[in-house]
Amino acid sequence: MKGTEEENLLSEVTEKNYEYGFTTEIESDTIAPGLDESVIRTISKKKNEPDWLLEWRLEAFAAWTKMEEPEWAHVAYEKPDLQSISFYSAPKQKKELASLDEVDPELLKTMDKLGISVEEQKKLSGVAVDFVMDSVSVATSFKETLGELGVIFCSLGEAIQEHPELVRKYIGTVVPQRDNYYAALNSAVFTDGSFCYIPKGVRCPMELSTYFRINQAGTGQFERTLIVADEGSYVSYLEGCTAPQRDENQLHAAVVEIISHDEAEVKYSTVQNWYPGDKDGKGGVFNFVTKRGICHRSAKISWTQVETGSAVTWKYPSCILKGDDSIGEFFSVAVTNNKQQADTGTKMIHLGRRTRSTIISKGISSGESQNSYRGLVQIHPGAENARNFSVCDSLLMTDRCGAHTFPYIEAKTPTAQIEHEATTSKIGEDQIFYCQQRGIEEEEAIGLIVKGYAKDVLNKLPMEFAVEAQKLLTISLEGSVG
Amino acid sequence: MLKIKNLHAKVGDNEILNGLNLEVKPGELHAIMGPNGSGKSTLAAVLAGREAYEVTDGMVELDGTDLLDLEASDRAREGVFLAFQYPIEIPGVSNLNFMKAAVNAKRAHQGQPPIKAKDFLAKVKECSSLVELDGKLRDRSVNEGFSGGEKKRNEIFQMAILEPKLCVLDETDSGLDIDALRVVSKGVNAMRSKDRAFIVITHYQRLLDHIIPDFVHVLSNGRIVKSGGKELALELEDKGYDWIKEEQNA
Amino acid sequence: MTVLTDIFKSTLPPPTRKSERWKYSPISKLLNSTLSTDSSEIDGGFSNEIAPNPVEGLEAYRLVFRNGKFNHSLSDLPIAKGVICMPQSEVSGEDVPEFKNTYSKTEWVGELNESYHQDGLFLKIDRNIKLDRPVLIHHLTDGKDVASFPRHFVRVEEGGEVDVVVWSSSTKNSSGMYNGILEASIAPNATLTLEKVCNEDGKIYHFSHENIIQERDSKFKMHTFTVKGHWVRNELEIISRGKGTDSIFNGAFLPTGNEHVDNHTTMDHTSTDGTSSELYRGIMYGTSTGVFNGKVFVRPDAQRTNAFQQNTNIVADRGASINAKPELEIYADDVKCSHGCTVGQFDLDALFYLKSRGIDEKAAKALLVEAFLADVISSVPCTELREEIMKIYKERHGW
Repeated sequence: MKGTEEENLLSEVTEKNYEYGFTTEIESDTIAPGLDESVIRTISKKKNEPDWLLEWRLEAFAAWTKMEEPEWAHVAYEKPDLQSISFYSAPKQKKELASLDEVDPELLKTMDKLGISVEEQKKLSGVAVDFVMDSVSVATSFKETLGELGVIFCSLGEAIQEHPELVRKYIGTVVPQRDNYYAALNSAVFTDGSFCYIPKGVRCPMELSTYFRINQAGTGQFERTLIVADEGSYVSYLEGCTAPQRDENQLHAAVVEIISHDEAEVKYSTVQNWYPGDKDGKGGVFNFVTKRGICHRSAKISWTQVETGSAVTWKYPSCILKGDDSIGEFFSVAVTNNKQQADTGTKMIHLGRRTRSTIISKGISSGESQNSYRGLVQIHPGAENARNFSVCDSLLMTDRCGAHTFPYIEAKTPTAQIEHEATTSKIGEDQIFYCQQRGIEEEEAIGLIVKGYAKDVLNKLPMEFAVEAQKLLTISLEGSVG
Repeated sequence: MLKIKNLHAKVGDNEILNGLNLEVKPGELHAIMGPNGSGKSTLAAVLAGREAYEVTDGMVELDGTDLLDLEASDRAREGVFLAFQYPIEIPGVSNLNFMKAAVNAKRAHQGQPPIKAKDFLAKVKECSSLVELDGKLRDRSVNEGFSGGEKKRNEIFQMAILEPKLCVLDETDSGLDIDALRVVSKGVNAMRSKDRAFIVITHYQRLLDHIIPDFVHVLSNGRIVKSGGKELALELEDKGYDWIKEEQNA
Repeated sequence: MTVLTDIFKSTLPPPTRKSERWKYSPISKLLNSTLSTDSSEIDGGFSNEIAPNPVEGLEAYRLVFRNGKFNHSLSDLPIAKGVICMPQSEVSGEDVPEFKNTYSKTEWVGELNESYHQDGLFLKIDRNIKLDRPVLIHHLTDGKDVASFPRHFVRVEEGGEVDVVVWSSSTKNSSGMYNGILEASIAPNATLTLEKVCNEDGKIYHFSHENIIQERDSKFKMHTFTVKGHWVRNELEIISRGKGTDSIFNGAFLPTGNEHVDNHTTMDHTSTDGTSSELYRGIMYGTSTGVFNGKVFVRPDAQRTNAFQQNTNIVADRGASINAKPELEIYADDVKCSHGCTVGQFDLDALFYLKSRGIDEKAAKALLVEAFLADVISSVPCTELREEIMKIYKERHGW
C-alpha cells in the first residue's frame, strides 16, 4: 500500500465517522471515570458482547485487582491514577481551537516534515473536535479484495459480532488475562482494536495497517490486536501510533497477540510516535504494551519497531518458539530525547528443536533521557540445537543521558548456541568532522550517521514505513547536538 | 587563492604552528614536507577547521574570504577539500548517499537545486573510473571494511566528485603500495587545472615522483624554514631532514 | 555456642526468588537447616583430610582459620617493616579496622556477617612497601551444620603492593554455611592482587563478598576460581573512586553434579579515565547450574571510561544450565563500553580435528577445556597457585 493511499484511506474512515455523527453518540454514552465491575459490564453491554466475553473480562478484572503495578523496569514516573480515567471513550469538553494558527507551531513543523496533510494536521492537533476517535481500524476499502482470499481484517468489535468462534478460540491464548498488570487491565476494559485472520496457504497480497490515535484528554487507550495466520500463510502488518500534544499524561495499555500456525509467517512493524511530552518532561503518553506471538512448526514471527515517542515506554514484543524449526526476530530502533524514558526489548522463548532467534536493538539516547534494552533469551531443555544471536548497541548523544543494557540469558540445553554482544559509545566526533569537511552541516551529519547506525533495522521495514521512520528519527533528535 | 599569514595554532597547551606563511596561486601544486611532529598534519587540520585546534594568531584567506571565521562545513562548501590521512568509517551510510548529501549541500550553498539523479550517476561513473574504484566499493558504507589503499582512493574519488578549489592531501601516500600510489597520483594529476590549487603534505619524496610539485616547502617547528622547486624534495630524500635543522641552528 | 535458628528473624528478609539479585540462586534449603557457630577451643587442631597449606610448594605468609577461628600454631605471619599482618582478634588500639561497606545494611547475608562475625585478616601495607610473598588465608569448614563468618580487612597505602590469596576448603562430611566478607581499599598508585579459590567438599552454602575501593591510579587484579563447592555465591563489588584506576577481574567456574555456582560482579566507575576488564568462563557439567551477573556502572562524571566485559559459557551435559545477565548502565557519554556473552558447546570442529590426529575424545575435550580456561588462569601471577588450581581441576574432571 502506498503512503498516499494510506492517507486517503485514513481520511475516508475519519470523515465517515463524522458523517455518521459519531461525536454526538459518544458524548451521550459517557460513563463516569473510574473502574469497577459495573464499568466492565457497561462496556460489554454497549458493545453487545456475548456472555462468554463478559465473563472473560470479569475474570481478568478479578485477577487485576489482586495485582500490583510492576516496578522492575528502569523507569521512574508517577503511576497513573486509574480511577481518574474514563474507560469508555468519553471526551472531556475542552476549548476548541478555531484554526491551525492556534496550534503550537513546533507541532505543525513536525507534522509538515512527516508529510501529513493540512487536513490531517487539523485532526491530529485537535482543531476539529468532530474527529473523536481513540482507536481506528483501517482497511475497509480493500475488504472486497481481501474477502475473495478469505482474509478477515476488521475491528475486533466487529470480529466479536461476525466471527465470535475465531475470536473465542484465540483471544488470550498468547497473552493470558492475568499475564501482567497492564495486560490484565486491558483484558478487562479493552474497547476495540484490530482482528486479522489469514486462511491456510494464503499470502496476503497487501500490507495491512492500523493507525492508533489517542485523541481525547483524560482517557486511557486499551486496544487489543489479534492476528491469526493459519498454516502456510503470510501477512505483513503495520501499526502506526500518533497522539496530539497534551499537558497531562495519557495511558496506553495495549495487547497484541499473534498466532503463527505451522509454516506461517507474520511480519509486524510498528512506528511508535506517541506524544513524548515537552522538553521539561511535562505530559506525554505512558506506553505500557504487551505484545507476544506464538510460532508453531516452521513458523516465523518478525517484530520490527521504531520507537521515537511516548514519555515512558515499557514494551517487549516477544516470540514463543513452540514449534520445531520456528523462527523469531526482533529488530528495534529506540530513540529517546529530553526527559523520555524507554525500557524496551524482547523475549525469545525457545521450546522447539532447532528454533532460531535474532535480536538487533539500536538505542539512541539524547537530552536527559534514559534508554534501556531489556531482553530475555530462554532455551528450554527440549530446544535442542536452538540458536540465538543478539546485538544491542547504544549510542549516546549528550553527557546527560543514559544508555543501559539488561539482557537475561537462560540456557538449559547443551546444544544451544547463544551469542550476545553489546556496545555503548558516543557518537563519533571524527565521523561528524569527516562529514563537515565534505560540506555537510553538523545537524545533517548527525542525522546521516544515526540513520547509518540504525540501518540494519530500518531496512527491515516496508518501504513507505521506512521513509516515515527515517524522518521521525531525524525529527526526534533535533536539538540534540552537543 | 590561498593566503596564510603568521599562522599560530595549538592543541591543548602545545603550540604547534609558530608563524607559518604560505601563498598558493590557482593552478599551483605545493608540497609540504618535514620531519614527524613538524606540524604538517596540524596545518591540514587547521585549514579544514577541526575544533580541537585553536588558532591563536594569524590569518587564512581563500579568495579573500576569511576561512578561520567559518565552520568546517562552510569551508568545504567554499571549496576546501581535505583528503584525510586516516579516513574514518561511517557504518550504514552508503558512499553514494554520502556524496549526494555533500554535493547537494554545496549546491544549496550556491543557490542551485539538488542534482538530478541521472547527472549524479554520470558524475559518479566518471570519477570512479578515474581512481579505478569499483562499483562494490561505491555502494558500500563509507570506508567501512576498506583496505588502506581503497580508503585513499575513495578520498580522491570524493575529491573528484566535489570539484574543490583547494585540495589538501594529508599524507595520502602513507600506507599505499606502489599500484595504489600510481592510481591515486593519476587521479590527482587528472584533476590539476589552472583554476585549482593543491597542497600535498608528505613525509617522503616518493609521492612527488608521481605528482610533480611546483614548489616544495620544508616545515620545521611549525614554520616553513626552506622553500624551493621540485629538486628540493630530491635533496631531502638524499640527505634527510637533519641538515635543515643544522642549517637553522647555525 | 550461638545456635543460629533465629537467623530468619533478622531485620532484612532472606532473599527469595522474587528478589532480582537472587532469582537464580534460591536458598530455601539453607533456611530449613539449623546452624551453629563453632564453640571449640582456640587452636583446637585442624583436620586429617586437609593440609594447613593448601598449595604445595607455595611460599607464602599464612593465616589459618578453622570454622572461623584463628589457628596460631599453623599460621606463619610476616615480620616486615611497614607491614601489619595479623588476625583481627589480636589488633588493638587505633589500628582496629573500621569497616565501611554497607553490605550489612542492604543484604540479609551481609547483616548475618555483621551480627555474627568472627575473626579475619587484618593487613596494612605502608607507603611504597612491597610485601615479598603473598599472604594466604586458609579457611577450613569442618563439622556438621557449622556456620562461620570471617571478615577480612586490607589497606594498601600509596605506592604499596601486595598479593592476597583467600582459599577455603571443607572436609567431606561437613555442612553448613560460610559467610565471608573482605573489604579492601587501595590508595593512589597502589596495587592489590587478590586470588580467591573455593575448594570445598561437603555441603556448604558458601557466600563471599568482596568490597574493593580504588583510589586514583590504583590497580586491582582479581581471580575467582570455584574449583569445587556445593552451593557457591561469589560477589565482587569494585568502586573506582579516583581517576585513572585499572581493574582486572577474571573468573572460572566448572560446577558438576548438583552444584550451584553464582558469580555476581559490580564494577562501579564513578571517576574519569578508568579502565576495567572482566572475563568469566564457565562450564556446566552434570545437572549443575551456573549464574553470571556482571554489572558495569558508568556514573555521570566518569568520562573517558573504558569498560570491557566478557562471559563465555559451555553447557556440557543435558540437565545442566546457565543463567547469564551481563548489564551495562551508562550515564556518561564519552565512554567505550562493551560486553559479550555466549553460551555454546565444545567446538565440534576442533574436537573432530583433534580426534583426526589420533587423540581420543576425552583427551581432546581436556585439551579444549584447558585452552578455554587458559585465558583466565594464565594471568594468575603466582606459578605454584596456577599449577595447583589446574591440577585440582584436572583431577576433579578426570582429564
